[in-house]
Amino acid sequence: MIKHISKNWSIYAWYFIILIGLIITIAPFWWALASSFKDNVTIFAEVAPFSFWSMVPGTSLDPYYGIFQKGFGKAMVNTFFVSVVSVIGGIIINSMAGFAFAQFRFKGDNILFGFILLSFAVPADAIAIPLFKMMRQIGWFDTYYALIIPMLANGIIIFLFRQFFIGIPKELMEAARVDGLSWFGVYWKICMPLSRPVTLGAGLLLFVFQWESFLWPLIAAPSPDLHLIQVVLARFSTEYAPIWNQQFAASTIAGLLPLIFIYLFQKQFVSALTGVEQK
Amino acid sequence: MFNNFFKRQWVVPYLFLAPALLATIAFKLYPIFIGLWESLIYTSFGGGVEKRSFVWFENYQYLFDDPLFWQSLKITSILTIIINPFQIALSLGLALLLMRKSKFIRVIRSLYLLPIGVALPIATVVWGLMLDPYQGLANGFLGVFGIPPQPFLISEDQALWSIIAIATWKGVAFWMLFLLAGMEEIPTQYYEAAKIDGARPFEKFRFITLPLLKRTILFVFVADTATNFVLMVPMIILTKGGPMQSTNVLAFEAYRSGFYYQDWGRSLSIISILTIISLIVIGLQLLFLGENKEDRVK
Repeated sequence: MIKHISKNWSIYAWYFIILIGLIITIAPFWWALASSFKDNVTIFAEVAPFSFWSMVPGTSLDPYYGIFQKGFGKAMVNTFFVSVVSVIGGIIINSMAGFAFAQFRFKGDNILFGFILLSFAVPADAIAIPLFKMMRQIGWFDTYYALIIPMLANGIIIFLFRQFFIGIPKELMEAARVDGLSWFGVYWKICMPLSRPVTLGAGLLLFVFQWESFLWPLIAAPSPDLHLIQVVLARFSTEYAPIWNQQFAASTIAGLLPLIFIYLFQKQFVSALTGVEQK
Repeated sequence: MFNNFFKRQWVVPYLFLAPALLATIAFKLYPIFIGLWESLIYTSFGGGVEKRSFVWFENYQYLFDDPLFWQSLKITSILTIIINPFQIALSLGLALLLMRKSKFIRVIRSLYLLPIGVALPIATVVWGLMLDPYQGLANGFLGVFGIPPQPFLISEDQALWSIIAIATWKGVAFWMLFLLAGMEEIPTQYYEAAKIDGARPFEKFRFITLPLLKRTILFVFVADTATNFVLMVPMIILTKGGPMQSTNVLAFEAYRSGFYYQDWGRSLSIISILTIISLIVIGLQLLFLGENKEDRVK
């Protein structure tokens, strides 16, 4: 009897803690979403003093109309372009490197693999300023090249492809080689078509990296024509500081797309990120 | 003859590797050397003409004589010492909570992972409005419990804590994902055996989960520290290092020296110091956590 109560007690305690955590996790984004459909007077009135209505979405589309007048559409198109090109280029060069590490023993292979993995332990933001100096030297500053090309190679994704390619039976490739297929043919016609799940995960990672990048596009491509979505969002928050509903609308759009992608392909995304196969 | 070259077996792997390897060298390794080299150069703008001169360690000397640098180093140290253990403990605790079996566990987990999909600039902008002293949701919510409005980001005492809260909201879900994946890899037989032996929950955690999760925790600790060492997005968007330099971490000081004042020698000296310190911190953690492994397993 006592045991029964204490067991129930622990479940209630668990639910209580989980609920508090959920509120802290979700409330900011939900508030942003709900407020992105309201006018500013309403937002302010519902928050101080706090009213339950602040969490109920409004019905106005004006904030969304407003941000597209301020160049948000252009930033979305830019970000799509940069992300998609990065996904394609990133998948090609990283899978090729993964293929080299999985398929061949060659001089320095372990050292090169270690070097590539280690170089990605250095946070991108730490080398952003020197990289910016380099872009100025080679004339890529303020171009799409600067936004895309330095972001293509990625240690995590090379590692992912290597792990997957190791699992492909060697006999399959040897048979193809005997039939006269080149190594590039083996990679392109046999290995890549088999690696659809890992390609999906890797593509998702590359897309989200670019969609969420801020510091690099901020310093590498300052002209408004090249602005990406996070940069524009940050610019709104300083240039149009009092216009809260438009900041919320921009946050909602910028945040919703990766969220939808991640939730649709949660398994592949988590596997790609952690390197652990999801059940 | 050229054709022959490509047909040789030994070149094939290098050809596959070349694009990614060259890109890594050019855009990851080379910038570190640019940073070190340019930190030894002083740029002056006399009469609209840019003049560069090699000055050995003069930029560093000026830096070390500047109280602003030491203040910034202090803020960075405080941030590092607080934020990393806090985030790891919180994500470990949450991961343990989310390992529990429940009807709704899939939904609950998905909701907890939401901040992973929300980019740091978005989190920063939204939390900046949340923590607005006059019209923010945080003060509105505190008011329900009769707690007076807090200044948060505009107060010297609370700004750094507010930024820690923002970075933690964004970061915990991400690090927890790795810990959850690691915990799922632990065979359930271990826990069943421990249950038969009458182990209490804490003992299971201490003698099964913790030792087997060692590698994951180590990875998360190192990666988290490296990430937070260059945390500057909330400062760029919200506080600009203030109020009264209270959130002016080294990474932001480097950004400000370069992009506000065009003092690239100073900016890259700080970046070089930051890179060296972070490598030392990461090395020490690897050493320290690596040594303890032996006795824990026994």
